[in-house]
Amino acid sequence: MDDPGLIDRAIRKDVAAFNALARLHQSKVRGLLLRLTRGNHATADDLAQETFLEAWRAIGNFRGDSAFATWLYRIAYSRFLMQARKRKPDEQLDDWQGEAPSGESATHARIDLERAFTKLSAPESAALTLCFALGLSNTEAAEALDMPLGTLKSHVLRGREKLKAILGDQP
Amino acid sequence: MNDTDLDTLLSTPLPERDAGEFSVLLMEKIAHDQARPARILSWITVGLLTLIVAAASLYGAQMMNHATSFSVAIPSLLTVLTLALSFAVMQSAREA
Repeated sequence: MDDPGLIDRAIRKDVAAFNALARLHQSKVRGLLLRLTRGNHATADDLAQETFLEAWRAIGNFRGDSAFATWLYRIAYSRFLMQARKRKPDEQLDDWQGEAPSGESATHARIDLERAFTKLSAPESAALTLCFALGLSNTEAAEALDMPLGTLKSHVLRGREKLKAILGDQP
Repeated sequence: MNDTDLDTLLSTPLPERDAGEFSVLLMEKIAHDQARPARILSWITVGLLTLIVAAASLYGAQMMNHATSFSVAIPSLLTVLTLALSFAVMQSAREA
C-alpha cells in the first residue's frame, strides 16, 4: 500500500504527496480511532486530524524502519492516550456512541461486536483492531502500540476471551 | 460463539470513510501550520519595531537642544532601520 515515491516526496515537504498519503491511510486511521473512542465520530476525527498534522511535522524523522501505516497508527494511538489522560471523569466514553453500521455491514453481529468492544480496555481494543481488522502482524502491532511483543499477545488473548464471553452471553 | 466465528467477525475490514472533507480540512491545517514561523517572526518584528521607534523618539527628544552632524546621522539610521523592518512585517503578514 505504501508508495515509496510519495513518502520520499512527503519527506521533502511536498504537501501534495502528503495529501495523497493521507487520503490513502485516513480511512483506517479514523476507523481505529473510532473504535478506541467508542463510536464518537467527532472525537475520532479530531484525533485523526491531529495524527496527520503531527505526522506532517515529524515526517522528516520517518526512516522507513516500519511501514508508513504502522508509523501512523503509533502516532494515532499515542494521541488517543494523551487525549484520554486529559479527559475529565464525567467525559468518559462508556458506550458505543456511533451510528449502527449501514449497508452490507449492517449485521447484528457487527453491531454487537462494536458494543462489545466498548467493554475492552484501550490496549485490548487497539491490539485486536490492529491485528485483525487492519491486518498487522503481532510484531507490527506491538511496534504501533509501543509495547513488548509478549504484552501485545496477552492483550490480544485477553481481549478475545472478553469478547467471546460478552458475545456468548447475548441472546 | 466459537473461535472461528469470532476471528471472522474480528477480521471484517473497518468501514471505508470518505477522504473528501477530511482531506480538505487537513490541508487547511497544514497551510496554517506552515505559516506559523512567519506569524511568529512578524510578532517579533513588531516588538522590535516598537522598541526602535521608542528609542528613536527618546534620542530625538534628548538631542533637540544640541544637534550635531553625528546626532543627526543616528536618527536617520534608526529611521532607515524602521522602514526596513516595516517592510519585513508587511512581507511576513502577506505570507501568513
